[in-house]
This record gives sequence, C-alpha cells and structure tokens, in this order.
Amino acid sequence: MENHDEQFEKYLSEFEPRRPRALPQPAIDRQTRLRRFAAAAAIGAFLGASVWFAWKEQAGQKAANIANNGTVASREQTPRRALSTVELTRLAVENPSGLDAALEAAQENRLPRFDRKDSVLRILAENDLGGEKEK
Amino acid sequence: MLYDKHGPALVAYACSFVTDAGAAEDVVHQVFLRLLSGPVQTPDVPVAYVYRAVRNAALNERRSGQKDAPLDLDSSVFKRGDGNREAALALQHALAELPEEQREVVVMRVWSGMTLEEVAAATGAPLNTVASRYRYALGKLREKLQPYRKK
Repeated sequence: MENHDEQFEKYLSEFEPRRPRALPQPAIDRQTRLRRFAAAAAIGAFLGASVWFAWKEQAGQKAANIANNGTVASREQTPRRALSTVELTRLAVENPSGLDAALEAAQENRLPRFDRKDSVLRILAENDLGGEKEK
Repeated sequence: MLYDKHGPALVAYACSFVTDAGAAEDVVHQVFLRLLSGPVQTPDVPVAYVYRAVRNAALNERRSGQKDAPLDLDSSVFKRGDGNREAALALQHALAELPEEQREVVVMRVWSGMTLEEVAAATGAPLNTVASRYRYALGKLREKLQPYRKK
C-alpha cells in the first residue's frame, strides 16, 4: 500500500503547477533598497569606527613618544597635529620637560614661521622695516 | 524565497477555490504584495500563514463573482511533460472536489515538498490526522485519474 501511494505520489508530482509570474519590480526594489541601505549603513559605521579607533591609537602613541623622548619629532618626520588638552595635561603631570618640547612643537605648527629666509612673513617684515628706515 | 519555493503550489491551491488559473495567480500575487508592502508580524510557521492568507484571498475572490466560471483548457493550472492536458484538467477538477483539509495536505505534500510532519505543524492538526487525510485524498485522486494513467 505504501509503495502504491509512493508511485501515485510520484505520478502526481509529474504535474507541474503553473509558475506564477514574477512579482512586480517595485515591490522587490523596495525590499532590496532597504537591505542595501542597511548593509551600506552597517559598513559605513564599521569603517567609521575603525578609522576613529586607529586615529585615537595613533594620537596616544604620539603623545607617549613625546613623553618618553622629551623631544618632539622633527617637522619632516611627523605630520603636523595639535595635541589635545588631555594629552597636554598628561604630559604636564608625567613629564614636564616633554610638555615644554610639545608646546614648542605645537607653537611651530600653529604660528606662521618667519625664521626662514624665504618666509613670506620675514620678507614682509623686512620690507616694512626698510620702509620705516627710509622715512 | 517563499515565493519561488511555494509559488506554484500556492497557485494550484488557490485555483481549487477560484477555478481559474489567472485569478489564482492574481490571488497569490496579492497576498505576497501585501506581505512585502508593510510590516507583518512574522508567524511561527510562515508557510502555514501564507496558505491561510491565500485561502482567504481566494475565497474573497470567489465571492466577488468567480464562483461559477467554467473551466477551459487554457486556464489549466497544471501541465505535464507529455502534454496530456486532459489529465491536467482532470487533476484540477479532482483537487477542487476534495474536502478543503485534504486538498491542503496534498498540495503541501506533493507540490510544496513538505513532509507530513511539516504539514502537521503548518496546519496545526495532529500528525495521524494529517496522514489519514493524505491517504484518503490520494485514494480519491487515484480513482479520478485512473483513466488518464492508462493512456
């Protein structure tokens, strides 16, 4: 009987029901768009968090280097970046001489330089002084 | 996706209520569009939910005027590889004549590829009941399709 049923079941499965036409595109699009948007948001959040953590770690390492060496890396070696108040406070507590060096470096980064020969400020200052002397 | 896997079976199921393959397709479309368009609480057994929804939509469709529409060869919901359209139509008729709960079990088992345990879970009926409904249904279908099997 079981075998009989299985045979008939097989016979029935040879009848293929009509495959319904595809769902209208907008319905699929809405779903797909939502999924894509969610995926993009998740990837964006992940990348943002990664960059932020990397930046924080780099900043911490730099402050530690300054504190350990007591000197500021030369302008050519390190990118210019102002130290945060937290980092400066920590330097002041842990290594006052390092703080001086860091402040000096920060000053160099923040104020326009006029100690080079080709510095625009220096040229302007000299011109100004020359004009006054002529007067 | 539910639509790809169970779509054809659902059209066959809906067709046993509305007796027109085109209307059955529309019913299945309608149900899936409703599912996709808004927040629907996901039931424990989504297949069972979709079957119920298709059944209700098909009954509504029938009430709205399709009830006595005659079957014609072009509206057959089934087709066979050997092109036997008479057998396909006979199956459609035979399915429509089955009691609803037997028809549901047959469609879920044969064309949705569900096991009897899954059908029992989907319909909420005990496994033994589902198994006997299935057996009865096969017996009736076998009887109705016998002339076409000999051909």
